[in-house]
Amino acid sequence: MIEHLKKCAQAVLEGDDRQAEKLARLTLDKDYPLLEVIDKGFVKGIREVGRLWEEGTLFLPELVMGAEAMKKAMAILQPALESGGHEQTKAGLVVIGTIEGDIHDIGKTLVATMLSANGFGILDLGADVPVQRFVDEAEGKKADCIAISALLTTTMPGQKKVIEELDRRSLRDRIKVIVGGAPCDEKWALDIGADGYAGDAVAAVALAGRVIGG
Amino acid sequence: MDTDFREIINKRVVLFDGGMGSMLIAAGLGEGEIPEQWNLERPDRIIAIHAAYLQAGAEVIQTNTFGATGLKLGASAAGKKLDPAGVNEAAARLVREALEGEGAEDRFVAGDMGPCGELFSPMGRLTPAMARDTFREQARALERGGVDLFLIETMYDLREAVEALRAVREVSDKPAVVELTFDLKSRGYFTLVGDTPRKAAAVLEAEGADMIGANCTLTSDKMIGLVSEFRDNTGLPLLFQPNAGHPEMENGRAVYRQPPGDFAGDTARMIEAGANAVGGCCGTDPRFIRAIRDYLDGRK
Repeated sequence: MIEHLKKCAQAVLEGDDRQAEKLARLTLDKDYPLLEVIDKGFVKGIREVGRLWEEGTLFLPELVMGAEAMKKAMAILQPALESGGHEQTKAGLVVIGTIEGDIHDIGKTLVATMLSANGFGILDLGADVPVQRFVDEAEGKKADCIAISALLTTTMPGQKKVIEELDRRSLRDRIKVIVGGAPCDEKWALDIGADGYAGDAVAAVALAGRVIGG
Repeated sequence: MDTDFREIINKRVVLFDGGMGSMLIAAGLGEGEIPEQWNLERPDRIIAIHAAYLQAGAEVIQTNTFGATGLKLGASAAGKKLDPAGVNEAAARLVREALEGEGAEDRFVAGDMGPCGELFSPMGRLTPAMARDTFREQARALERGGVDLFLIETMYDLREAVEALRAVREVSDKPAVVELTFDLKSRGYFTLVGDTPRKAAAVLEAEGADMIGANCTLTSDKMIGLVSEFRDNTGLPLLFQPNAGHPEMENGRAVYRQPPGDFAGDTARMIEAGANAVGGCCGTDPRFIRAIRDYLDGRK
């Protein structure tokens, strides 16, 4: 079992999606404890990918492949988890998108992938998303959090407009807002009244967990 | 142009211009509008921005074509309506007009080429041929518009930078400058996909770039160490264009607060570390270029 957990973590770390799928199936065949395999195997792997990304040992290609391997494994384990009567371990629902006028969706998609790999429910609205649509979707789907990306000096004020719209609809205390994108930082998030800023996809996972949990 | 850009960069420090985005907002760029459409719809305002940089002492003016590849224009509603070749050619002519309007001599038009917006595998579905095709279309139009050199910038993947450089080489023998964008991690400077300054210098030198360097992502204080690292790895002329700190919200707008004098001070240290050309990126405006100009003139 310990060996199996190690292999699961390793498959994610190496971004080997076929191996991750194989190990996920083996988990079901052998009837290993699901939650333990997820938490001490696959999740441990994706956390290690995140740590190595932050220090500059792994880069975008490895991060993307690690997250994909994680998603493949979870796609096999999730149905078993649910039919087994386990509480679905969703960390919260995040509505994510790049703000109107801005078509940069690389960073945003990566954040969505990493959040999903870490157990968050994700509604990805894509790029060039109008302020109203962020709020409409978050309200309609009862989301816990809106994550807004902006890559341009010209578009970043749109992040504040989403917060203002939440205020206007009296939703602000229910729906958290986190921001990211090249020109943003902590100070910017504070200025516009967001709940937090994350500099990359790994930091975004920690931030989303913190603001939704708190 | 009488003076050769390749000669000048080996003789003295050359001053490029600064950011375009905040200038466009100040000039009234509206929501849903993209910077590139103003080359066709508001040429007077684009010329005025170029002129402001010329008056501040910039010697190289970048065309307003950062996102003007066919691939990237095709990804936005406003961009879809534009003809990529027409936008690029017009943008080059606008810089030329600004130069003529200011009666400026020994100034250069740099055809600006930013990332095409798609990623290579495993992140995306960009192929070398797709990148080459879209950059070739852009480079050809810039050449037709009369640029003096090409500036490939903000590249986060060396592979894409190489395709852009090869595309330029297919359509022109004018000087080609390549700037990648690096972040500072605890283990050093890396692009998004993990390219190091050392690898970038070796590859771009072998591909025949005339000048290389970095722009965006890093603020001026963090750019100084990157200059040294590049200088340790290449004899090519080097160009660096950092950001002016991080933006803050003021009256519904993003404003940058780093004092221009502070930026110019860091620029002086970049020159000491081996930069042959300098300028600004996000958040910089003509005040920053003026501050660097004053420093350069003072050290003559």
